[in-house]
Amino acid sequence: MSAAQRTAELSNLRFSLLLALPVLVFLLLVVAYPLGYALWMSLHEISFFGGYKATFVGAENFSDVIDDRKFKKSLWITVRFTLESVALAMVIGLLIALVLNRKMRFAGLVRTIVILPWCISLYGTGVIFSNLAKGQTGIGTAIAYALGFDEAVNVVNRQWVIEVLAVGNAWNMAPLVAFFLLANLKTIPSRLYDLAAIDRMSRLETFLNVTLPPLRFTLFVFTCITTVLSMKLFDFIFVLSGGGPGTASSTLTYRIYKESFKDLDLGYGAAMSFMLLALILGTTLLLYAFWGRREARSI
Amino acid sequence: MRIRLSTIWSWLALAVVVIWTLLPIYWFLKNSLLTPDEIARFPQPLYPLEPTPAAFFNIFGFEYEMADGLVRRGSGQANQIIRGLGNSLIVSAVVTVVTLFVVLPLAYVFARLDFPHKNKLLFAILLAVALPPVSTLIPFYAMYVRLGLSGTLVGLIIVTLTITIPFVTWMLIGYFRNLPQVERLARIDGFSRFETFVKIIVPLGRSGVAVAAVIAFLFSWNEYTYALLLVNGTTANTLPTAISGFLFQHPEPSHLAAAVVLTMVPPALVAFFLQRHIAEMNLVDPVR
Amino acid sequence: MKLRATAMAVAGSLMLMSGAALAESGLEAQSGETVFFRGWQYKTDIVQDNVDRYNNEQGGNVDYATVTGDYPAIMEQNLMAGAELDVLYANPSQAGRYFDGGWIMPAEALPNIDAIKADMYPNILDAWSYKGQLLGLSYFVSTRGVMHVNLEKYYELGYSDADFPADWDALYDQLYEMRDKGLDQPFLPHWINEWYGISWGFDFEVMNRGGQVAHPDTHAPLLTTDADGAAYKTLEDWKRIWNDGLVPEEVLTYNESSYIDAYASGRYVFSPQQLYDLETFNREDRSQIAGHASLLPYQGQSWGLLDSAVYLMTSRERSDAQTDDVKRFASWYGYQDQTGNVFVGNRWMQESMLFSGYKSVMESDAAAERMKSALAREQDIAAVLGVYAATPYPKGIWSVVWAEEFNSWLKETLQEFLQDDGDIVETIEAINEEIVDLNKKYGL
Repeated sequence: MSAAQRTAELSNLRFSLLLALPVLVFLLLVVAYPLGYALWMSLHEISFFGGYKATFVGAENFSDVIDDRKFKKSLWITVRFTLESVALAMVIGLLIALVLNRKMRFAGLVRTIVILPWCISLYGTGVIFSNLAKGQTGIGTAIAYALGFDEAVNVVNRQWVIEVLAVGNAWNMAPLVAFFLLANLKTIPSRLYDLAAIDRMSRLETFLNVTLPPLRFTLFVFTCITTVLSMKLFDFIFVLSGGGPGTASSTLTYRIYKESFKDLDLGYGAAMSFMLLALILGTTLLLYAFWGRREARSI
Repeated sequence: MRIRLSTIWSWLALAVVVIWTLLPIYWFLKNSLLTPDEIARFPQPLYPLEPTPAAFFNIFGFEYEMADGLVRRGSGQANQIIRGLGNSLIVSAVVTVVTLFVVLPLAYVFARLDFPHKNKLLFAILLAVALPPVSTLIPFYAMYVRLGLSGTLVGLIIVTLTITIPFVTWMLIGYFRNLPQVERLARIDGFSRFETFVKIIVPLGRSGVAVAAVIAFLFSWNEYTYALLLVNGTTANTLPTAISGFLFQHPEPSHLAAAVVLTMVPPALVAFFLQRHIAEMNLVDPVR
Repeated sequence: MKLRATAMAVAGSLMLMSGAALAESGLEAQSGETVFFRGWQYKTDIVQDNVDRYNNEQGGNVDYATVTGDYPAIMEQNLMAGAELDVLYANPSQAGRYFDGGWIMPAEALPNIDAIKADMYPNILDAWSYKGQLLGLSYFVSTRGVMHVNLEKYYELGYSDADFPADWDALYDQLYEMRDKGLDQPFLPHWINEWYGISWGFDFEVMNRGGQVAHPDTHAPLLTTDADGAAYKTLEDWKRIWNDGLVPEEVLTYNESSYIDAYASGRYVFSPQQLYDLETFNREDRSQIAGHASLLPYQGQSWGLLDSAVYLMTSRERSDAQTDDVKRFASWYGYQDQTGNVFVGNRWMQESMLFSGYKSVMESDAAAERMKSALAREQDIAAVLGVYAATPYPKGIWSVVWAEEFNSWLKETLQEFLQDDGDIVETIEAINEEIVDLNKKYGL
């Protein structure tokens, strides 16, 4: 190792610290505090009523959560919802990006339209999709009647409610994915496409060999991002289905909300939050281990 | 022949994308132009039969006289809507600016430089991203009550920054990695590290910066979970919680729809101006 | 415009009747501090208008806003945190808990409390009193779960008024007849996803069938598991109509607005709805069944339960001067204005046919006139008053500190009972156990 490289490294560190340290300290404060507080809560049984009381119960909340039938059901719902949401959001996002990357007239207008779903709050998306999918107000019913059938088409039911949620969630997230992929697509030098044409590559080959490689890292990052977003999603579900019908769409976030805010069992809710946090981190790290690491190396 | 076929396909693809995007919005927003008795119809009409802009007046507290002389009264939630609009604009503007200032250097450092403990710090950011708002709500709430920050805009801005900063950082890291390796060249040209970042990297990554700004703006503009608990019913109420008032109890679907239109306008404007950065940027191999 | 003129005329005549009674009233705000008034969303334009009137005429500084989401839970958090909150809406099922939490100042603190109590119907006074104290002032009283009937559809199916079911059993039988006549889903049940939804639906059906969920004084569980018991028959019928697809599944996800809009669309024949929404359903500009929205009369069995809400005053830390202003506003808003008129109460009657806890509102000529114009038929007035007079109040599970906790648990239990095809006896036993546990938790 030469002396020049050593100084470069040192100044790398210093420069990085200079830029990053203040932010990291801020993050640490505002993240560590709630996290510590939640940990403390999860080890206590807390009651507000008739004066604030916190009794230390050790890991009891955690073992109760693990035995909880409703927790297991919610866990499964979260996994199913996340898988569907991520798959839909990534595929649709990629397709949108490819469509937008073509030269066309009114490109600005089209781009503005396409980003609209991401402009609508999750609250608004919830209202929109509940209006769209319910038999009473839904578009399915209106079309069915227009075609001469006289039966309401309702998809907010036990069978399909999670798919409705996943489609709505993907609808909301896909533009985000698309725009980042688009920004990346724009960084692909056009001469690479010229070269591909010279090599007489087919469309598919061009896509796989020229378009896809620079996108792969972004795809990985956004798979993680959409996974995390889906797993911690709450307001959209709260508005669209309220965890229902019954408990058919009670994701972990909804269950935590219910335990903590409706039943005011804060310790139990906090313990469940840690399970959710573990699930989110675990999934992300697995994604990194099996996919991200490879992408990171290949760059 | 081949060209024409591919043109048809690309138009078709474009049409599908536009329909996919607009259909759900249309189906809901047509409610804003319907009269209450049209909304109560089953099945709902495919389009407004007698479109009326009454709801847009009503949500700002103005009454509107219909053609048949019936007066649609202004909503009692108009004060909340107007106040919420102002609050949301303030919060979003501040959060966007602060986020950009903070995140750009952070993402750059993580994306382009190697330094000890980088992975651990990255993990800390990931942790911040992964925290679900439902679980940090109570701690924040307790802390805010103690610090006197609940029901204030400052409190809401801080809590929103804890969402936007880690998130946008995480997104930008991937983007910055893909920028061409210009640091060495910049060095040779005599730029300092800081100059390299400000004068070369940021302009080079304009489109990423633009998208980052849009995202920070939208996150704060649309934040609902924290606002629901921290500012709901106070003078610091933001637009999303203010409009959610149209949903419960007494049905005013047209007011709700009109209010949702209202919430879409500023982000759509922001998106429109910023998406042009991406379009104008024909970044083709600057190292050539 | 016309409505307001009527309201003013009513106000004028009442003023003459009970005028000078509150000469010393002094309802004018004095402290200059803001009074925070919060509620759920019901016709907020009227509320804002009322508040504006107080602010203009009495120099008030009242800030009105609504709270969204799970109202009881969010309110409880605000009270716990000592948030800026002075006057709020509450159902009696929350009011008792707030009182036990030490967060509210009972209406007993008002100077004119004796006059207020004297004007209240005794059964209402009883429902709103907790541990011997009147907690709040009248917002509205209603019967929730009145069996609404869409006459147009009902007649179309070949029925007449003589066929009106007298009780729940007869109603369910008729639903099956209707299905055989080709109407697949004649019934929109009270199974909505609100805190007052499916669980209240169970509460009132049990009471209508002559059962009791818990003892009114000891709060001990009273449901029985025998096949003739009210709870058993309720769950049995629910299971039957659910499994036979006589009701739309999406009702489990409805909020109040969707529930009202769905019935207003005219798809259904029967639905247990709010009594005052007869007015909504009979409005041309809101409903597709205007002029046909009627109700099943009292024929020996009650329908629904006594739903009501009060204005509560909080006991948060504030100056005495401000507390006095809170009392002045609460008194003006929840009882009589500076002219001695129950202004807000009368206005709600005129606007939406909301019933009041006050005799002076209910027994006025204007109220009778209003009811007549809000209903589809002349004879419905007698039906409304008959059903209303027979309405039971679930004191055992509402006038108790765990009311909302139980309610939220019951909601989920019942939703699961339907969806997972639960066992009837086991469900009833679980309900009783939950009540025992809650009594133990709070030392009752």
